[in-house]
Amino acid sequence: MRICLVASAGGHLSQLLKIVRPWQGHETFVVTTSEAVRANLQRFGTVYVVGECNREHGLRVIRVFVKCLAALWREKPDVVLSTGAAPGCICCFLGKLRGARIIWVDSITNVERPSLSGRLVRPIADLFLVQWPELAQRYRGAEYVGTIV
Amino acid sequence: MIFLTVGTQFPFDRLVTTIDDLFDEGVIQDDLFAQIGDSVYKPRNFAAVGSLEKKAFDDRFRQASAVISHAGMGAITMALDQNKPLLVMPRLKRYREVVNDHQAALATKFEALGHILVAQDETQLRVKVGQLRSFVPRPRQANPEIVAERIGRFLETLHAPKAV
Repeated sequence: MRICLVASAGGHLSQLLKIVRPWQGHETFVVTTSEAVRANLQRFGTVYVVGECNREHGLRVIRVFVKCLAALWREKPDVVLSTGAAPGCICCFLGKLRGARIIWVDSITNVERPSLSGRLVRPIADLFLVQWPELAQRYRGAEYVGTIV
Repeated sequence: MIFLTVGTQFPFDRLVTTIDDLFDEGVIQDDLFAQIGDSVYKPRNFAAVGSLEKKAFDDRFRQASAVISHAGMGAITMALDQNKPLLVMPRLKRYREVVNDHQAALATKFEALGHILVAQDETQLRVKVGQLRSFVPRPRQANPEIVAERIGRFLETLHAPKAV
């Protein structure tokens, strides 16, 4: 299977890197937001840098969306695994459209409720992990097994 | 030597200014070096740079006796990994320092668990700075292995034949 690993550079990416394993030799590729982290990620396959975006920059969201679309249509992933944030959310929806399974791991920084991206992805996620047990109790479909950091 | 860092994404003059004032008031007497990002304010009492290369940043962090920072996950993780006393002041949305108030919520939670010290505002910063010298952080029990295994088990179910 092909797994799309997607996370924004920074805290989201460092959490993703702590949980990525050579799962039975599945193929992987990476979608991230900054050129600065490209070199470090090439061991996981092709790296697509799509740029940063968040809910407050409409135009940038469109640009990132188009780049994510290009990456996912080229790579045809069977699974999308993301730790956030907005570009991760976009790839989950695009992946779902292609029939991929969606794994979302919400960041440790979301204490009171899952991130906005996480809440959007939850209805389409096939595995939705949170890092605070209280969140798993409050949100249906959310599962807590442990913390990454 | 105390290391003060505010990250690079947004300025955080509120933290830098208060720390500078605390030198004038005699509350802080330690040597301090600061990485202040795009902050407009220029401190009078300590050396400061806008940004640091990753290696220089890591060296400053490692050599510091204690760290003061915004409540970013990067600084918190690094401090916990190194068992470094850390005092954070969360960036707040109402001052347009960050897009939402997740920093404050996370900081409160981590302080309750004994991992870090938190100053929710400038007034608390005056008090908490004094506690930083004797603060012993409680190590965090994270378990990324369990999360990775859970994902591995999920991937195996995708392999399994559909008719079960």
